[in-house]
Amino acid sequence: MTKKRKISLTEEELVAALRNREKIAIEALYDMYSSSLLGVISRIVIDEATAEDVLQETFIKIWNSFQSYSSEKGRLFTWMVNIARNLSIDKIRSKDFKNQNKNQELENNVTFIDEQVNTVYKPELMGIKDLVEKLKPEQKVILDLVYFKGYTHVEAAEELGVPLGTIKTRLRMAILQLRKYFN
Amino acid sequence: MEDIKAYIETGILELYVLGDISQAEKLQVEEMAEKYPEIKAELAEIERSLEAYALENAIEPPVHLRERVLNSLVTSFANDDSFPTKETTEIFYDDRIIKDNVVALSTPKANNFYKYAFAASMLALIASVFGLFSLNNQLKESNEVIASLQTKNTSFANQVNYIENEVDVLRDPEVKVLKLQGLPKAPGAQLTVAWSPKKKKVMINMEDMKLAANDKDHQYQLWAIVDKKPVDLGVFDAAKTDTAGMKQMKSVANAVMFAVTLEKRGGVSSPTMDQMVVATKI
Repeated sequence: MTKKRKISLTEEELVAALRNREKIAIEALYDMYSSSLLGVISRIVIDEATAEDVLQETFIKIWNSFQSYSSEKGRLFTWMVNIARNLSIDKIRSKDFKNQNKNQELENNVTFIDEQVNTVYKPELMGIKDLVEKLKPEQKVILDLVYFKGYTHVEAAEELGVPLGTIKTRLRMAILQLRKYFN
Repeated sequence: MEDIKAYIETGILELYVLGDISQAEKLQVEEMAEKYPEIKAELAEIERSLEAYALENAIEPPVHLRERVLNSLVTSFANDDSFPTKETTEIFYDDRIIKDNVVALSTPKANNFYKYAFAASMLALIASVFGLFSLNNQLKESNEVIASLQTKNTSFANQVNYIENEVDVLRDPEVKVLKLQGLPKAPGAQLTVAWSPKKKKVMINMEDMKLAANDKDHQYQLWAIVDKKPVDLGVFDAAKTDTAGMKQMKSVANAVMFAVTLEKRGGVSSPTMDQMVVATKI
């Protein structure tokens, strides 16, 4: 079972299969997007087990509310990553999660706080070296805050003490860099 | 054209893709994208690059999670592939409706099963009651047949017994078969007597007896003359009885004559001579 070949479809095929509620669509969806979505979720929900729970909830919500997705308004992943991000934010703001954090053992606090303020980069969370060099640090910080951590650009401006206009410009420049890099 | 370029440069499209704009702005962007292919293309570029960026930052989930997530989806929406219609899609949208739907689907199935099971068992019950009745009737009939056969068998056995006795008597070389002939009082009368002097046994043949029927106040009485005196050998009726082929009378060893008189029922101690019907000398 674990050695099973991963299923991959084109986005059009996948969307059609999801609309028809085909079982293969569930597997393809997971195989194609689980790692990308977990990358986003893990930036917000640090605890691994909780992040995995949120990933599961994300897939359930995607499956349940799939008819509200319209391919004309954007790519499937854009729609899904918004769901993953919102569920992650809901999770860390929930009472359970806050209580759980209060009960964290003392020796874990240093790494936990480090992770929360993003001073420690997990190697698996880092983009490849090339990309990191192309993105200026101030661009990357803002992009990661908004894209991965679910900050609004207003919150990011407050967090970084930078004017709103600058935030928007840096965000746009960061994405332009990504476009150059990936195209 | 200038306007579109300026619009793109505000960075609102990036915020749109990041989901970081108000509902009003969102509708505006969508409207613009529909109108201007450049904006649509720009959005697509932003989306693709962010998707690629997410892929660069992907974290492979543990292997066991795949099974867990797929199971939770398959379990929640089991059997949905048999209803791949738009209606089903809507039904599955809401968790509460899903549950209602599952209940609604399964209930009539269960009902039908018990309905059919009940009908089937009622049918079986009725069939076995009928079966039991018919078997019972057959059993009764068989018992009656057996009873009647047993009766016949008994009567056959009796008959065989009598015939055997008869044959035994007639075969015995010691036995004398005497024909008592009719006297003037009853000229046509006749009676056969078998007598074994050695065994002192006397029998009369009821089969070929020719005597006038006696009434209920009178009976025939058989006599033997021994030493010139009549000896009573018992009474009998002229009417045939079903048990009788040969009727055994009282014993006598040395008689010189046999005679029958008609006497009052039960017999008398000495014969009334003028009522003698048959007789023979030995």
